[in-house]
Order: sequence, then C-alpha cells, then structure tokens
Amino acid sequence: MGANASGYYVRVPVWSVALRLYHWTFALSCITLILTGLYINYPPISTWAEFMPSFSMATMRTWHFAAAFFFMSALAVRFYLYLFGNRYEKIQDCTPVSVRNIKSLFHAIMFYLYMLKEHEARPGHNVLAGTFYCFVVFISLLMIVSGLYLMYPETGWIQSMGNAIFGSQQMARFIHYAMTWFFIFFTMIHVYLCIWNDIFGSEGIISGIFSGRKMLPADAVAKDGTIETE
Amino acid sequence: MKEKELHGKLSLSRRRFLKVCASAAAALGLGSEAVPKIAEAVTSPKRPPVIWLHFMECTGCSESLLRADSPDLATLILDLVSLDYHETLMAAAGHQAEKSLMDSVEANAGKFVLVVEGAVCTGDGGVYCKVAGKTNLETLEEIAPKAGAIIAVGTCATFGGIQAAAPNPTGAVGVRDVIKNKPVVNIAGCPPSPNNFLSTVLYYLTYGRLPALDELGRPKFAYGRKIHDHCERRPHFDEGRFVESFGDEGHKAGYCLYKVGCKGPATFANCPVQRFCDVNWPVGAGHGCIGCTEPGFWDRMSPFYEHLPDVRIPAGDGIYVEAEKIGKWAVAGAAAALAGHAALGVGKKVLDSRKCSSDSGKED
Ligand code: SF4
Repeated sequence: MGANASGYYVRVPVWSVALRLYHWTFALSCITLILTGLYINYPPISTWAEFMPSFSMATMRTWHFAAAFFFMSALAVRFYLYLFGNRYEKIQDCTPVSVRNIKSLFHAIMFYLYMLKEHEARPGHNVLAGTFYCFVVFISLLMIVSGLYLMYPETGWIQSMGNAIFGSQQMARFIHYAMTWFFIFFTMIHVYLCIWNDIFGSEGIISGIFSGRKMLPADAVAKDGTIETE
Repeated sequence: MKEKELHGKLSLSRRRFLKVCASAAAALGLGSEAVPKIAEAVTSPKRPPVIWLHFMECTGCSESLLRADSPDLATLILDLVSLDYHETLMAAAGHQAEKSLMDSVEANAGKFVLVVEGAVCTGDGGVYCKVAGKTNLETLEEIAPKAGAIIAVGTCATFGGIQAAAPNPTGAVGVRDVIKNKPVVNIAGCPPSPNNFLSTVLYYLTYGRLPALDELGRPKFAYGRKIHDHCERRPHFDEGRFVESFGDEGHKAGYCLYKVGCKGPATFANCPVQRFCDVNWPVGAGHGCIGCTEPGFWDRMSPFYEHLPDVRIPAGDGIYVEAEKIGKWAVAGAAAALAGHAALGVGKKVLDSRKCSSDSGKED
C-alpha cells in the first residue's frame, strides 16, 4: 500500500511481558466471570436429582470469586502500566490527549467505516481502541466495587463504600448484573475487531498479544525515528 | 424489685418474667449476667416512659407488636413500661390525649423513649398528614429534640416505606431524614419482628444507651447478617436445587426460592433466626423474602417474583423491562452490526480486487 513503498516490514517490540500477562489474565477471568455470573444470576438447570450431590451453585460461586481475584490483580497490573509501563502502555499514549492522538482517533473511526484504506502505522493501541479500553477499565472498577460489596457486605469499610455508592445490596446486585452485559458486548466487539484488523491491517495484532511484537511498515518506522525495532 | 408490685401490674409469675428477660437478653446476644440487670431496669420505678407517635402508616407495626411471639414480652412493654401515648392503644382521646402527650414530654424531657411509626410527610410543608391539627413534621420536630432515645419502627419510619415509593407525591421520608442531629434506631421491616423492637427498648432501659447500629441505623444484633446466610433453604441453594414455580415438585420438597424472586441474598434481617411469633417466617412458609428491611424496598425489590428490578426506559414513559432483555437486545444488535460490518468488508475487498486487477492490467 501507498505509505509503505518499500514493501518491507520491521518487527517492533510493543507489549511488555506484564501487559501480555495482564491481557490474558483479564481475558480468561472475564470469560469465567461472565459464564459463572450468568449461572449465578439465573441458574438454568435445577438439580432436582437428590440421589447425587452436585453442589453446583456453590461451585459456580467459588469459581466466580476465584476468577474475581484474578480479575482484580490483572486490573492492578494495568493501572501500574498506565502509569509506569513502557511508552506504548502509558495512559497518555492511548487516549485523545494530544493532537496526534486525536488524529489517530478519527483515523481509526474512518478506517473501521471503510472510508480510509490506509491502516495507521502505530506501535501502541490506536486511540479509538485505547479510549475504549480505558472505559472498560472504569467499568471493571465498578464491577469490582459492586462485587466486593456483594461478597463482603458486613465488612466495615466495604460496607460504608458500598452504601455510599449503591445505597443497598439490591442496587449493587442490579448494577453488577447489568454491567455483565457490557462485558459480553465488549468481548464480542473486541474479538471481532481483532480478527478484522488482522485481516485488513498488516500488523499481525493477534500474534502480537502473544509475542508482544507488531509488524510495522519500514518506511513509517524510519520516518518516525523514535521507534525502537528489533 | 418487689414481687407483689410486679404481680399487681403484670399477669406474669416471677419465673416467667425472668424467662422473658432471658429471652430478650438472648435476642440481644447478651449473656445470662444481663438477665438480672434487665429485670431490674424494667421494674425500676425510675424507668422512662415510652411515647409512640403514628405518622403515615397502616398501624401494622403496632399490630405486629400486639401479636408479639411471647405475649409476655409485649405485656412487659405495654403494662410495665409506661406507654404514655399511643394513639391506637391509649384510652384517652381528643384534647385530653394531646395534653397528656405534652405533659409527659415536658415531665420526662431528655429521658423518654420516642417511638415513631410511619413516614414523615414533608411535601408541601407536610400538609398531607396531620394529627390534632399539627403536621407530622411539626410534631416530630417539636418532640424529637426532647427525647432520650428515638426509635423508628417499621419500613415507613425508617426509609419512607410504600408512600415513599416513586413518584412519592407526599414527599414521605424516614425519621432519620428529618432528625439529623440525634441518633435514630431504625427497626426496619414491614412489619418488623416485634422482638427486635422490644429487645432494643429493653437494652436502652437496661444500659441507658443504644445498641450497636449498622450504617443504616439498624441494630446489629438483629440486622447484622443477610437473611440468605441463616436461611434453612440455603443448602438447597448451594446444591443448585430451586423452585421453578410455586406449587411444583421443588416447592413441595422445600427447595430454595431464589428463582421465584427471593430477596434473601440482598436483605439484612434476622427473620430466619428470630421467627415471627416463634412459629415461622415467609421463606419457611414457602414464599420468597421480599426484602422489606432494606431502603427503598418498594421500588428496588419489586417485582417481588423476579430476581432483579426492572429498568424504566427513558423514552417510553412508564415502560418497564427486565435488564436481561435490554442486555440481550444490545448484544444481539451488536452481533447484527458486526455481521453487517464484516459483510461490507468482504464486499469491498472483492470490489477492490476486481478494480485492482483491471487497474494493474492498464498500468502494465
Ligand atoms: S430461599 Fe431465599 S434466603 Fe433462602 S437460600 Fe434461597 S435465596 Fe437464600
């Protein structure tokens, strides 16, 4: 394509090990939380067979709580990386806080709407994705706060915090559940756009979240001059 | 405490009387050493009177008190503790009653126990509920500062109750929303277990202070744990055995009522432990908990036979749908959008490649 006249690509290290670990912990815990959460909200099967213990609700809850702790740890790592990660992981790289980033935001929107052919050569997140991820992190915080309040309703500071934010258990329960649908929604869009980007872009972003490297057009990297390559 | 004096006032033998004190002590989580103290406090000639005000309510809380599980416990309060003013129970009427109210307030200023039953009307200056020509708001603001202790009984007095449900035309609020500079004990419930109320009064009479309260002002001895954590159906919950509809096999087998809307997991109260009238409680009788001890329960806990409240769609006035449906539609919509997006992409790619091949044909 036009911007990459040379036709060469270079491999650029983008994501640290910590970020990749965060991503996969977050992803797997999210899936576990969604599946067990949907069961907990409305157990579709009643185990009426009394001859055999199933302990299904208790087991689902245990998985849900275990996954919740992985989810929280993952999020803590992401917060750390937002502040102290490499230049592509920092919060100011992926949110529309500079002219360059605002341009990237619109570029991504146009690209996704098939209005631009050119994929932006950019080592970190495109700003549309980055901004949306920030939003996801924010909703995750809400999930954590409501989840903790539901799980430890009698614990002093958690109770005070929950009462102040949600007013009652039932309200927290409602928000916790409604937000589950947001995560289902997000997972769908995220997976779809990753596959789509893998097809229409050249970066190989799916392998990137395993390897931490992206393939960027050599010309663009040379023009930028600050991007470290392998 | 003289036994003769006791007998004159109360149809209780000393043995029964001590039993009542012991059960109150147990309800409060106190040891047996508290029993003589309670007995002494209740029979002390210096014990403060109780003044009971009715605001916007249905008198169900008084009714529940009159049907207290051990009638002895209620007799204790009604006969022994002087109940100087209670609109439903007192003999006096009219000006005489109002005079005795104010006399008692003045004579016992700083000592009496003020019990409020019913929500306080604040809308339009409180004109929607008046007793003896005075609005509830005026009465409360006049009497509350002089009380030794204030106890709000029932969901109306604690959180506003049914009249505070949206759209709350009368501006009904709980006592705590009006009396901000004094601790108010909230005995929540619709109606609350009379024992929780009686035990609180006995605690105050015995120790001269209020029991430990949670953030919402409810005594921890009674509202410290969720219904769900002490429910006798809980093993069925953990096992995944649920009633699917009322009257089905699971219902007959006594399974968990979670799927027919039980709000036990979101409700703090001691109903499973301190049963009503020592006989039973809603979940024991086969009906889910409706969460009546929680703030805003008429709005938040309904529909009573659903797990979660419905959502009001802002566009359609008065249209309520389940959160579940909104979520499913949003996800289905997104899936359709993604499919459309993908189809567009494939179509474009096909077109481009055709154009490309013809273009490149020209160039070469
Ligand atoms: S019946 Fe209600 S309170 Fe009891 S275990 Fe089931 S959900 Fe919990």
